[in-house]
Amino acid sequence: MGEVAGLLARWLHLASSIFLVGGAALLLIARPSDRPTARRWESWILTACRVLVLAALGSAIATVAYQTAVLEERWAAALEPAALARMLTRTQAGNVWLARGGLLVLLAAFLAIRAEVRDRADWRALRGQAALLGLVALGLVAAAGHAAAVEPGAAAAITADVVHLAAAGLWIGGLPALALLLWLAGRRAGADARPYAVLAARRFSRVALALVGALAVSGLWSAWVQIASVAGLLGTRHGNLLLVKLVTFAAMLVLATLNRRLIPALGGEAHSVGRPAMRRLSRVVAAEASLAVLVLAIVAAMTVTPPARHEQPTWPLSFRLTLDNLGSAPDLASQVLVGSQVAVLGVVALLASLALRRLRLPVLAGGAVVLVAGGAIAVPPLVSDAYPTTYRRPDVAYQAASIADGRRLFDAHCAVCHGPQAAGDGPAAATLQPRPPDLRASHVALHTAGDIFWWITNGRPPMPAFGDRLDVDARWHLINYLRALAAGDAARLLGPTIEPERPWLVAPDFTFNVGPEYSRSLREYRGRRIVLLVLYTLPASAPRLGELAEAYGLLASLEVEILAVPTDAAPDAIRRLAGGPPIFYPVVTDGARAIVEAYRLFAPAPHAEFLIDRQGYLRAIVAAPDAPQRDPGRLLAEVERLNEETVTPPPPDEHVH
Amino acid sequence: MRIWRVVLLVDLALVLGLAAGYLWWGQQARRLANELQAARAVAAVSPGGEREYRATGVVRAGLPDLGILVITHGDIPGYMPAMTMGFRTTSPTIVESVSPGDEVRFTLRGTPPNLAITAIDKTAP
Repeated sequence: MGEVAGLLARWLHLASSIFLVGGAALLLIARPSDRPTARRWESWILTACRVLVLAALGSAIATVAYQTAVLEERWAAALEPAALARMLTRTQAGNVWLARGGLLVLLAAFLAIRAEVRDRADWRALRGQAALLGLVALGLVAAAGHAAAVEPGAAAAITADVVHLAAAGLWIGGLPALALLLWLAGRRAGADARPYAVLAARRFSRVALALVGALAVSGLWSAWVQIASVAGLLGTRHGNLLLVKLVTFAAMLVLATLNRRLIPALGGEAHSVGRPAMRRLSRVVAAEASLAVLVLAIVAAMTVTPPARHEQPTWPLSFRLTLDNLGSAPDLASQVLVGSQVAVLGVVALLASLALRRLRLPVLAGGAVVLVAGGAIAVPPLVSDAYPTTYRRPDVAYQAASIADGRRLFDAHCAVCHGPQAAGDGPAAATLQPRPPDLRASHVALHTAGDIFWWITNGRPPMPAFGDRLDVDARWHLINYLRALAAGDAARLLGPTIEPERPWLVAPDFTFNVGPEYSRSLREYRGRRIVLLVLYTLPASAPRLGELAEAYGLLASLEVEILAVPTDAAPDAIRRLAGGPPIFYPVVTDGARAIVEAYRLFAPAPHAEFLIDRQGYLRAIVAAPDAPQRDPGRLLAEVERLNEETVTPPPPDEHVH
Repeated sequence: MRIWRVVLLVDLALVLGLAAGYLWWGQQARRLANELQAARAVAAVSPGGEREYRATGVVRAGLPDLGILVITHGDIPGYMPAMTMGFRTTSPTIVESVSPGDEVRFTLRGTPPNLAITAIDKTAP
């Protein structure tokens, strides 16, 4: 109930603000006239503007009250002066509402001036002022919307929204006023204003062409920021609303082009048109205006829906298109290549048909056939199965503790068929048809984490469903374990020396303690330090730890941190190292078990060293079976090479396969 | 007066008003940030010298010749975040009373940044 009222208030506010701007601006575009019908139209528009500014103010108050109730989480707050004052003075959105309210009141005062204006400069100043104040008040909406919450880059997002709002105000806001003028001029008594109406419509249509461009560019930018993916567009409420808005908008564009083509006068070929043409024009513009009202309702709904980038998308289709399939199959890649080039040929033919006068239809039909044929060749290799959770982002981070939990769950529930190392060779595997696949193989990377989540949840015959036996977190633990298994398999390619500029294997995050209160996670070193993670086993590793202790000062000056993790997860690890040279780098006393379980998947040796770069990628692995002997100078050389690398920006946060 | 002049004056006033309002708004945010920082600074360094902090940590090494204990300690509120570092001690017995790996509770005393450990206890055997 409250939500519907809030939505209605927003819609009313947006619509009245936009039609106010458009009406006032159209007066300016059309310029003054002394024809009686034109003067009548101007006075009607002014009256409408007076009503609209009052509606905008009233709906603004209602929206503020609604937002206060939402912020305070109780409906009664909407009517409490203290709560309203808090909202208006203490929040950014409230401050913006205050500024906009002030502008609207000033605008109402200007519109209240009913003086007969004869002088051209005065007329322009007065009408221009109405349009200007309305535009500023409308543009400020962006500073209190979703765009203001974009981090980083709020300024760019707000600018895009301001452009979008202003262009919408000037174009679709002007449609009802234009429809009114055309209707007046299309009546028997309105013949005197027909040249004026045609001139106004021609000017407006010229301005509108530029505005549609601005709308498209700024709208694309905002969609890129707020939705950012096909999954967000198809799989969230916000994205679906945008699709509906785009379809409605496309219908408006079709009507607009109809106008330009049906009425030659708009192309500047005549000074006036007859009554039937005028009436038809007014009907089409009125249809456009009513579509605009619909678009504004959708926009109001979008402002109260969380942006797609904050939502978990639910994929609505049973397939998706992906290039990942092609990596392993060169013949499929060439098929896609040929198909896409055929399709491009079709598009060229379609475009050419627009330029042709003769033979247009055959070329058009031929182009369409070629395009469809190209699509039929190129698309099938790209199709992959998809499920509602395909694009779901993991709820549990790729962390050592999760991987260790996943390993336990795998041994308990999955290993009987999938085998202890997920190679598809469990005791029960022989009885199954089809046999369980090798989950470490590279084809696993072709599926999204969300795909695997769906299979674990709902089963994939002969695999049973685990949705009712394992909670959501447990299922993500399993997926993290599988990811680590595949990564560990790939980690065999990593040696003791780094491959410059080629980070590709994400190091699982972990948390650890040194002593009672010193607690850190690997993430905290990201962007700051190179980390040398040392999994050690006493007594064999003791000399190596002593070597590292002696080199620690030098390594620290090269921005390297050493983290030493006992493989036996000893809580008294520091004491057990006491005999040798003093060790100042962190020795993990708590959290070691999960780290060892996860990183053993990458190097199953009693002593292993992992070099992790500043972006959180594993770059080099040294695994020694017993007494590790390595010249510290070689480690320093690797570190120097890492320090020389240009830092690649994206940290592997959302990187999931 | 002509209407366009009135409009011009109103617009000038509006631009000035909006600019002033925006600046005041930005200043407000900066003032709050400054106040917070000042309050933190006051809390961190009280005037008039000697301060005492209590902290817990784990002993990493003792350097008896220098009278220094290296401790990985937790956050010391108002002084420093968790880290591994060496602390001077006020008596040699303090260095000798603990060994690497001991979990300890200790007291730091002095005028920042010249602090020294005045007392230390093992919290776990």
